[in-house]
Amino acid sequence: MRKPDTLSVLVFIRSWGIFILLALLWAIFSLWAAPNFFDFDNFTQIFQAASLTAVFAAAIAMGVFSGALDLSVPGIASLSAVIMAWLMTHGVNMWVGIIAAMVTGVALGLINGVISLRGINPLAVTIGMLSITSGVAALITTGPAIYGLEALTPIGLDYYFGVPVTFWIAAGVFIIGTVFLTQTRGGAHFMAAGGNPEALRRAGVNANLFKLLGFILSGLLSAVGGVVYSAYTQQADPTPVTGTLFTGLTAVALSGISLAGGRGSLPKVFVGALVIQSIQNVLILKDIQPYVADAVTGVLLIGALGLELAINKGVSKQVVRSRTAANSTATGVLNLVSDKKKG
Amino acid sequence: MAEKFALELENIDLYYGYVRALSSINLTVRPGETVALLGDNGAGKSTLLKVMSGAHRQSSGTLKVHGEVKEFHAPKDSAAAGIEMVYQDLALVDAQDTATNMLLGKEILRKGPLGWAGFLDRKAMREEARNQIAHLGVKIDNLGRPVEMLSGGQRQGVALARSSVRVTEHESGILLLDEPTAALGYEQKMMVEQMIERMAKQGIAVVLVTHDLPLAFKCADRMVVLNRSRKVADIATKDTNNDEIVGWITGARADQAGIK
Repeated sequence: MRKPDTLSVLVFIRSWGIFILLALLWAIFSLWAAPNFFDFDNFTQIFQAASLTAVFAAAIAMGVFSGALDLSVPGIASLSAVIMAWLMTHGVNMWVGIIAAMVTGVALGLINGVISLRGINPLAVTIGMLSITSGVAALITTGPAIYGLEALTPIGLDYYFGVPVTFWIAAGVFIIGTVFLTQTRGGAHFMAAGGNPEALRRAGVNANLFKLLGFILSGLLSAVGGVVYSAYTQQADPTPVTGTLFTGLTAVALSGISLAGGRGSLPKVFVGALVIQSIQNVLILKDIQPYVADAVTGVLLIGALGLELAINKGVSKQVVRSRTAANSTATGVLNLVSDKKKG
Repeated sequence: MAEKFALELENIDLYYGYVRALSSINLTVRPGETVALLGDNGAGKSTLLKVMSGAHRQSSGTLKVHGEVKEFHAPKDSAAAGIEMVYQDLALVDAQDTATNMLLGKEILRKGPLGWAGFLDRKAMREEARNQIAHLGVKIDNLGRPVEMLSGGQRQGVALARSSVRVTEHESGILLLDEPTAALGYEQKMMVEQMIERMAKQGIAVVLVTHDLPLAFKCADRMVVLNRSRKVADIATKDTNNDEIVGWITGARADQAGIK
């Protein structure tokens, strides 16, 4: 057995840090907020809240993976949900309403993408879209939220096999998304479009198509989030819940994604959502003011990105060091040995 | 009888507005031959390389691949003709592993319905990448690591191996290398030299743009020197020496006798 070196430790933290953080938090909270925290019903609540956060986080993550930060997520979510609610309260079948919401999400994502690919900064485009969607949503409802969405109970509040439906929906989104990203050619090209679109182009693949797909998936998942959120709260509010943007973004950052595109894993995003909701949950259990939770989310966001930066710097420093060291086989970094040296 | 050339440039001119970037360049490369394209900054060697790769189009003159006249409008046209360029920036997707980078755009899919749905056969891809890399003598122990964690030489190795595999899919391909050793240490330069030699042995025609004269003398069968957009020398490596080449590069020496 060789002694683990700095590089291996850094790589280990980068790969598994979020899981360690969650385990640590759960252990500390279980003692600090005993016996209420480590309790089946409480964990059900945490998973339920995390599932909602996670769907929005997945929407943001899809954008980030393919190279664009989509800030219109809460706007697309609220407009899609309002369209669904308006249709439902005007005698249209619930499923038609849900499909209309999904189509809205895809269409708005497509618009975001087409405009951004023309060369306007995606941040500006999606902030504009956030504003447009909230305005249009308010026009549809003439201001207030639409109530009376009890028909949505089966996809918002019910339990199946003892588990809240929101968790099943989030699990479905994450499993399909993860399989797509890690197991298919489309997923590989999707990540490459975020990491190095020029490399993809030179390999003969249309990188812009995959960038467009990023916006579309982001829009679609925003709509899914909006529908599930409405089903959970039984109302459709035209005011975008921008809080979901911040918690979602924080979950993405916690998963170790630099927001620079081309890297990341969806399961870790889900764990990031669990971290945030576990913290919010324990603050409620300990009767601490809810404002603290917002502040903590902000600290987590900046802290996570800072740590990511520090680890990456550490890793590249180690890689450079092992490159210059003559006999660096023990570092675990792939060492190129020229035939000459052996001879 | 005309000799069989892999790549043949005849009277290539290129103007940027009124600026003449290339002036009646003639250049030939045989299969399995390595030609070093030398010259000072601004001499036109990168421009010429871009004409060969399809990134730029010549104002006049013809370009032949294996005796056939070709018109390149985009890099994908040259790729279809069996020409691959390894850019100085390597065009690697940093966060992805070696196998994914090696097979970018040419992924191996699973057999059966999963393959029709676009599912990757990761095991076969790793196996393929391992074979291709071993073929060129690059050693990478962990093909599952993101390429950002490889050393500069290994990254160069991945990019070279990827291009060399793509050109060998053609009967005899042409590889264009732009400063392959620019950012490398001594040992890694040695490795790149060996890779170039191995590729030439496989019948690949290599055009090597470099400032690294020792590399050129080690790898190239022939030296072509450009100076102020003109070809001033085209000579077998064994018939020249460092001083002559430096003289042509700097312009201190008169053009090689009989150059055209």
